[in-house]
Amino acid sequence: MRRKDAPWLTLKYREMLEAWLFLSPTLIGFIIFFLGPLVAIVYYSMTEWNLLTQQATFVGLKNFHNALLVNPDFWQVLRNSGIFALGLVPLNMALALTLALALSRPFFGVVFFRTVFFAPVVTSAIAWAIVWKFLLQGEAGIVNQMLATVGIDGPNWLREPNWAMAAVIVTRVIKMVGLNMILYIAALQAIPRDYEEAARLEGASRWQIFRMIIWPLLAPTTLIIMVITTIGSFKVFDHIYQMTGGGPENGTLVLAYYIYLQGFEYFDVGYASALAMIMFVIVMALTIVQVMLRRKEME
Amino acid sequence: MTALALKNLKKRFASTDVIRGVDLAIDDGEFVVFVGPSGCGKSTLLRMISGLEDITSGELYIGDRLVNDVQAARRGVAMVFQSYALYPHLTVRDNMGFGLKVRKVPAAERERRVNEAAATLKLDALLHRYPRELSGGQRQRVAIGRAIVGNPEVFLFDEPLSNLDAELRVHMRSEIAALHNRLKTTMIYVTHDQIEAMTLADKIVVLRDGLVEQVGSPRELYERPGNLFVAQFIGSPKMNVLPAQAATHLSPAAQVPSSAESVGIRPEHLSVTGPSEVGLRGKVTLNEYTGAVTLTHIQSSDAQPILALDDGREVTRLGSDVCLTAEAGNLHYFDKQGLRVAADAA
Repeated sequence: MRRKDAPWLTLKYREMLEAWLFLSPTLIGFIIFFLGPLVAIVYYSMTEWNLLTQQATFVGLKNFHNALLVNPDFWQVLRNSGIFALGLVPLNMALALTLALALSRPFFGVVFFRTVFFAPVVTSAIAWAIVWKFLLQGEAGIVNQMLATVGIDGPNWLREPNWAMAAVIVTRVIKMVGLNMILYIAALQAIPRDYEEAARLEGASRWQIFRMIIWPLLAPTTLIIMVITTIGSFKVFDHIYQMTGGGPENGTLVLAYYIYLQGFEYFDVGYASALAMIMFVIVMALTIVQVMLRRKEME
Repeated sequence: MTALALKNLKKRFASTDVIRGVDLAIDDGEFVVFVGPSGCGKSTLLRMISGLEDITSGELYIGDRLVNDVQAARRGVAMVFQSYALYPHLTVRDNMGFGLKVRKVPAAERERRVNEAAATLKLDALLHRYPRELSGGQRQRVAIGRAIVGNPEVFLFDEPLSNLDAELRVHMRSEIAALHNRLKTTMIYVTHDQIEAMTLADKIVVLRDGLVEQVGSPRELYERPGNLFVAQFIGSPKMNVLPAQAATHLSPAAQVPSSAESVGIRPEHLSVTGPSEVGLRGKVTLNEYTGAVTLTHIQSSDAQPILALDDGREVTRLGSDVCLTAEAGNLHYFDKQGLRVAADAA
């Protein structure tokens, strides 16, 4: 029996209650805004639900069947997303690492340069896209005018399918490279200087030091960067929305934007949900593959 | 033969002079220790020799080559870092063979030399391990092994034992001494620990504020310190320094030079006796019994703190009056500038 002067709760339960109370704000947010919608999407992906008619009918895997086997758009969209990711991820990582190598050691003005390259990351994506859309206009665009001064007749960047994809990739890289640069700078600065000095004394060239010492030690950071950049590239939306609207000729129509079109332009929420599920599986599979490859490499 | 010669070597970082003109000759096969308090420039000097730090002015010769502008890797030196600097993603074998690999030494030759060094350092069983799987002492040995494999003309050690615990430090100290005996290669060793300096060195270089205070064998430095700084830096516990007139109290036979300002006496050369007519008077303020020896802290009648060390069999009672005496031959005299002056001949 409980003693008269004993507290209402034992210490163990009191600590547990406190822990749950502290966790609850995040937990409630997570359930309402993340877990809830996720579960809802799983359900909606198996319905035919038109936002206009407000009627949801359970159709099983029909949406998935349509996407994967019936609708020819889907595969083109997936291909576009693949090209976007394949173009963006290596370019972004190579540029981020190059910048980080140049800016990881202190020199006069280093903070200025880091700020310059990081500033686009915190700039509004829409504003960024609008400015670039303006710069990349056909004949009147500043980019083409500058090219003209050296005798190059620039293409109409955003109106030709191949050039449009290249343009959105490059402008997206410039926007986001600062984030990966900062991650690489942090990783480079965490590598003790002694390693490099020891290698120098042993006769290693700069390239050998990079390839045999620095690059392997950056592996965990490279993995993280690769995963988040790949995920980010599959999720790209605002940039496409503003710069090309998926065009020309669906040349830049990527998965996230396609999902948006299906759900909020054509109001086919069931189909959009199924596409979102597919995207989720693709991104997760890619992440798992990357992690496994890196782990194998590190062994 | 001279293995290394430093001629008026200077180093300046921005507006700070770190090495202010060092002249030094190191013989082939010699074990030289740079010792001094933190910030004296000993590590910088070592790094200048290695080539990791530029030389602002002066000349550095390795053998008979002027190497001021020679790349670190081409100077024929190998360095053991304080942090060991073992590459964490490489096994012991790959760490030790790294230098040979980047110099494109054939795999078979590489293998042979790594195995040879591993055998010397008893690392055979650890070759497949990663640095994280090794103890501090083992890592230290791998770092030394990596240096040996390159077969350098000169070994440089930058405070190699400071990350080890006391017991291991003593052990590794003797291993390094044994290694030097075996290899007979010139070694330059930086430390702030004067016991390490005394036990390892053929020659000690005492540095302060970027200048050499004294160069000599451990015995020379201990028995004939050239100035007050060296006198107090070498020897543990450090030398007592008293006004020159105390000398005649300590030893009636003392011949105090006229230019002497102060007299130095090592704690182990002081005898503590009960109150008597002869000797420097004082009061015991603290006893530190350490087993082998006892440190007796005494305050002299003119309020000077004095430390005496004896074999520890007798502990003088706290607060008791004592007299201190010493043999005249054990007194060191220093002038106003702190430079050693010889005792007047009797």
